[in-house]
Amino acid sequence: MSIEITSLTKNFGAFPAVKDVSLHIKTGEMVAFLGPSGSGKTTLLRIIAGLEFANHGEIFFDGENVTMKSANERKAGFVFQSYALFNHMTIFENIAFGLRVARRSKRLTNEKIRERVLSLLETIQLSGLENRFPVQLSGGQRQRVAFARALAVEPRVLLLDEPFGALDAKVRRELRAWLTEFHNKTHLTSLFVTHDQDEAFDVADRVVIIDKGTIQQIGTPEEVRSGGGNAFVRDFLAIDI
Amino acid sequence: MASFIDFRNPPGSDRRADSAFRATSEPLWVRRMLIGIVLAFFILFLGLPLVVVFQGALAKGTEHFVAAFRDYDILHSVLMTLTVTLISVPANTLFGIAAAWSITRYRFFGRQALLALIDLPLWVSPVIGGLVYVLLYGRRGYMGPWLQAHDIKIIFALPGMVLATTFVTFPFVARSLIPLMQAQGCEEEEAALTLGAGGFQILRRITLPKIKWGLFYGVILCNARAMGEFGAVSVVSAKISGKTNTMPLEIERLYGDLLFADAFAVASALSLLALVTLILKTLAEWKNRRQFEAGQRALLEPTIEGATN
Repeated sequence: MSIEITSLTKNFGAFPAVKDVSLHIKTGEMVAFLGPSGSGKTTLLRIIAGLEFANHGEIFFDGENVTMKSANERKAGFVFQSYALFNHMTIFENIAFGLRVARRSKRLTNEKIRERVLSLLETIQLSGLENRFPVQLSGGQRQRVAFARALAVEPRVLLLDEPFGALDAKVRRELRAWLTEFHNKTHLTSLFVTHDQDEAFDVADRVVIIDKGTIQQIGTPEEVRSGGGNAFVRDFLAIDI
Repeated sequence: MASFIDFRNPPGSDRRADSAFRATSEPLWVRRMLIGIVLAFFILFLGLPLVVVFQGALAKGTEHFVAAFRDYDILHSVLMTLTVTLISVPANTLFGIAAAWSITRYRFFGRQALLALIDLPLWVSPVIGGLVYVLLYGRRGYMGPWLQAHDIKIIFALPGMVLATTFVTFPFVARSLIPLMQAQGCEEEEAALTLGAGGFQILRRITLPKIKWGLFYGVILCNARAMGEFGAVSVVSAKISGKTNTMPLEIERLYGDLLFADAFAVASALSLLALVTLILKTLAEWKNRRQFEAGQRALLEPTIEGATN
């Protein structure tokens, strides 16, 4: 699915979190939002998901204007940094949640739900853990469950907010490789927020560098790293020219 | 050097923590005296009265105690208390959930004012709560003529007593939910939203299971206060035994009529209900603390490593 964003602005009180951002994301792309803490990259992602609403500007999914649509109508797969798993439900029920709350006319039968959840568990290599509760899993396992839960409803876009932020370096690398492989297989349009430039350059097709709520540079990892950007980008990426 | 190792208090044992605590503490006699004063107060003001209530109830023997609850007026007062409680507690439960949800989830004009107003019934005397309803709905009140014209009786009748009780027990459910819901945050609700769940589905499947013990605690507290309410209800009740007397009002009536054994019998029943409430409350508190801590852990965890945006 393609995403078109036109002059998006979001203020929190007097604080401008996102300022006049325009962006086009092509179908099947993997795009990273890279920037320091408080740069507005997470806010931008949340506006795309429908978890925040912009003060100005519009958002189009495949040409359809979704600016005023709520998050549950947009159904963008969203993966939270803190996983946000449902702690009172088993892993199985966590992944099945999106399928169970679907409108009755579109709801799958219990057997179909079971089939899909078990196949997703296989995809994330956690088969056999369906009856555990989130607290019984490690951080990396929980994050993979959060992925599976988002993928269960077959979203047209995947939005990842610092997906590996809370994990240790080794698990981070493993999950990063897994995500790249997953994306190469499915070509699901994906946006992810990170403050880690290695992660952004390693995983993304294009990198969007954000600071103080505005886009500083957009380009492929090679373009961005070659040092063509402005003073902020050079300083942020520590490029010496 | 070996003498530095403390064999009596190995690392990690509770005694070690205890001795560290003692180092900053007062001398023994000060502590003994403070604990003594607290215990004496406790026995004098809480323990003894409770014993006396049950003693008074059984003063004329168990037959008399049982007979008291065959009396029509006394039975009716129990029924009145249950009726009032059964209406005002669910009403306040619904209000409490709605208020806690709005206050913790939304930022709106008047939010701080609402937060302060919820506590109002704790700050003013219950008698004032009752009087306000008399001023509003009484025969000479603002709504009085209209109510009379439509033959609706609120003051000196059940509706007024329910209103007064609801006013007094207003804060309990909301107050016990607000800190809990603040600690838990709303990421799970947001996750449910992106998965296509509607508002009611989120409430039923995510929020209510998350807050159930805090909610139970609030409802129990609200219930205890509703059953025992005297001041506000006494203003709006006609105080007719067998008609508009709740248990606390009936106790006062019996006591005034010098029927001490009967008064204590009703009082002991009310105390028993309070004791059961106390046990349930302790259980809920314990469960709720675990839910609260789990919520906070979930919130703190992601910040351990690296910046959040």
